[in-house]
Amino acid sequence: MASSRAELLKIFQKTASEITEREFPSISEGTVISELGIDSLGMLEIVGSMERELKVQLPDEALAGIQTVKDLIELVEKKEALTAGSSSSTQA
Amino acid sequence: MGAGDPKDTAGQVRLYEMYKTFFDKAEHERRWNPLHDVPYDKINKDAPESLIVVAETFCCVESFLPDYVSSGINVVRPFFGQAWFSANWAYEESKHSVALMEYLLRSGRRTPEQMFDLQAKLMETKWEMPFSTARQMTIYGCFQEMATFVIYVKQEMGAKAYGDECLAAIFRLNARDEIAHCRFYEDVVKVLLEEDREGTVRDIQHVAKHFQMPGVGIVPDYDERIKVMREEGKVDRSVFLQKVFFPVLKYLDVTRQELQEAASKERAASSEERRTRAAE
Repeated sequence: MASSRAELLKIFQKTASEITEREFPSISEGTVISELGIDSLGMLEIVGSMERELKVQLPDEALAGIQTVKDLIELVEKKEALTAGSSSSTQA
Repeated sequence: MGAGDPKDTAGQVRLYEMYKTFFDKAEHERRWNPLHDVPYDKINKDAPESLIVVAETFCCVESFLPDYVSSGINVVRPFFGQAWFSANWAYEESKHSVALMEYLLRSGRRTPEQMFDLQAKLMETKWEMPFSTARQMTIYGCFQEMATFVIYVKQEMGAKAYGDECLAAIFRLNARDEIAHCRFYEDVVKVLLEEDREGTVRDIQHVAKHFQMPGVGIVPDYDERIKVMREEGKVDRSVFLQKVFFPVLKYLDVTRQELQEAASKERAASSEERRTRAAE
């Protein structure tokens, strides 16, 4: 089942805290990930952890373009929609 | 066991063969002289200061060669092929700073006093090896050399855009060496992966997590300099993933998911360790 944007934001917040061992109380969709002190490789680790939790796999080539939390959320949403679409067409 | 064990003859022969291939190719295709093969008559003496800062920053990072060599060669000392590669690497890298130094002096944009004052200042700080084992340092070499290659290529375009054919040529020559070094490191890591995939993937994950370029914290005004380099070379954070990280992983045939698995295991192990320590 597709996650809501608010859920995805919470998952990002929780995962970022687990991986960096820091708290991020005021994250919003507009937050620029690098401004949290998370570099591109740290961001990849967060992405990987979210992928496991949400059971989706984002394409490597799309990850380099992620700047904000919103970019990541939208990427996950798109992937979830695609996955849901392909599984419902398989079922049909 | 294998190339990672200095007493394993077959593994060491393999590394030596790789070194011979590297050396032979270098002798035939890449030998150049920073005093004769660089078109210093094509310096654009009116190039903006930002371009000079780019050249000077590369020169600063390359100037820690004594530390890179002394630390780097000792960690691979028992591995003949890798140790001899390190010696050759040092010779090739030494030309990079000479070419950049000559450029800065011959352009008239820096005086000998400025350059040697800067060198003295740089040598007040020592570069420390970011990782402690031969395998981790070899993996570090893959990412660091590829990143340096990409930055030189980007800056070559910038130098050309300012009509400085000399600096563009230096960046091109340096870039060609850097990618050759990257390939050697990658080929060694491929062998290490064949011999111990789990351990090598764990090290790749560890190096990626703690990766920093060598100038961080030791080159004066580093943040300001990097800002100029990013603007001049049009380098943003996406470039590292697109042009460095993913291409290296692809060449090594390691997936992001494998690294993620290793990262999860590392996190679980360290929280277990913390729990045990707290219980004591």
